Amino acid sequence: MNKFGLLPVAILLMAGAAHAQNTDSLLKTLNPTDKKETVATTFKSTHVVLSHSSETEKKHDLDLRIRHHFGDIGGKFGSAHTLYGLDVASDLFIGLDYGVSDRFTVGVGRSKQDEMYNFSGKYKLLQQNVNETMPINLTLFAQMGWIAREPFSNSEFSKYTNRFSWFFQSIISRKISSRFSLQVMPGLTVRKNVSDTRDPETLVSVGFAGRMKLSKRFSFVADYTLVNGLSRPTDLSQAYYNPLGVGLEIETGGHVFSLNFMNSEYILENNFITNTKKSWTKGGVRFGFTISRNFTLFKSKNKDPEKRSDIY
Amino acid sequence: MTWTNNIKRLFLSGIFLVTQLNVMAQTYTSKNIKLSLYSSTPLEDIRAATDQCTGVIVRERREIAFQVAIKSFEFDRKLMQEHFNENYMESDRYPYAKFKGILDQQVDWTKDGVYNVTVTGILTVHGVDKKRTVPGKISISNGQAEVSTEFKVACVDHGIKIPKLVFTKIAEQINIKVTGKFNQLK
Repeated sequence: MNKFGLLPVAILLMAGAAHAQNTDSLLKTLNPTDKKETVATTFKSTHVVLSHSSETEKKHDLDLRIRHHFGDIGGKFGSAHTLYGLDVASDLFIGLDYGVSDRFTVGVGRSKQDEMYNFSGKYKLLQQNVNETMPINLTLFAQMGWIAREPFSNSEFSKYTNRFSWFFQSIISRKISSRFSLQVMPGLTVRKNVSDTRDPETLVSVGFAGRMKLSKRFSFVADYTLVNGLSRPTDLSQAYYNPLGVGLEIETGGHVFSLNFMNSEYILENNFITNTKKSWTKGGVRFGFTISRNFTLFKSKNKDPEKRSDIY
Repeated sequence: MTWTNNIKRLFLSGIFLVTQLNVMAQTYTSKNIKLSLYSSTPLEDIRAATDQCTGVIVRERREIAFQVAIKSFEFDRKLMQEHFNENYMESDRYPYAKFKGILDQQVDWTKDGVYNVTVTGILTVHGVDKKRTVPGKISISNGQAEVSTEFKVACVDHGIKIPKLVFTKIAEQINIKVTGKFNQLK
């Protein structure tokens, strides 16, 4: 009899369970977790401190970037006489990057050092995704530098092509956690404008970079490029140093500001990889900043009024 | 004794099956509910929309539930979309927004017609639960139920912080509009 007494209870329980599960389990079956989803914002900006990050511009976004490197904080050229380098502009840069697609960005810019114009292309080949079938981002970067200044001596640009330099880089990055990203960048620089015969025209470099999110809007960023001692001898008559930059990245929706400290005088890869003559240990560190402003072009193509935003 | 046990089992599973089928017949689902948000300030009007919101109605229990993936919202400015996910909704940590509630009124689901209803339940946004009573409309025709609602969500209710720098660009109250056609689950 006991068994019979329990029967209706069991039925009720089972039916109840079926009911209780219903909305939640049904919602779950309606929302299959999207495994192909890519990991977003490994880096906030297309640059870390000195080097490029694996990020590209979004489709139809135009990024105006203004960069400034001041003079030495310490040492012979620094101290209070130059207000710790603030009197000096060792390099200035203004450039535009445009997202042809979400994966492909083209860029043009001009910097003070050597009056160099640069033309670059950047392509996001692989994207890290949530389910780890692709654990990394891989972005390819190529940049041509064109020295526009007058030659210092008659022999300097004996061939016009000596004014050009080329920089190629594979940027491999991974967002390790929502706050922390790391990046490795093997690269190759090819230039003709070399004064020391022992200094090779083709330089191999390996860069390392990282980003640590401190809060939603502040990030600590750093990058280091190893170039001296790889294909380039370390005992050249001119002492060269490996560029190291650290910075604070501040994001305010549409703008990204970076406040940086670095030993490299120059801004473009074609210059700072080949020509960093200052050292962190000898007062050669300097302050620098980047202002990046983003514009969305062709947004009027989006006819859907439910997705349209207006900025007055 | 064994045959009575068998009959008991048969009887039991029969009832179980019937209740299950019963539940199925009384359930409506939708996979492409349109959900749009609108933030209005004198400086900026921001709109975004998704049509990937899912919903379930369990008729007998008057239960209604919606769920939407935050990342499915589309903005015309991709950077805005990135900020929405990264800085405000933190969609890596809180991938879904959800509303689950009980219809406060009886609805005759077998009869075509338009019913103005309210639903009381829990709205979960940005990982924060908030008890809400939301007005809505259910239109029933040919076994299909069209559900629509409009309500406001206050950012502060769900721990979504708007920094002072962009305070003038993002509204404190976000307008939400939902419309979707539900079909009976067979």
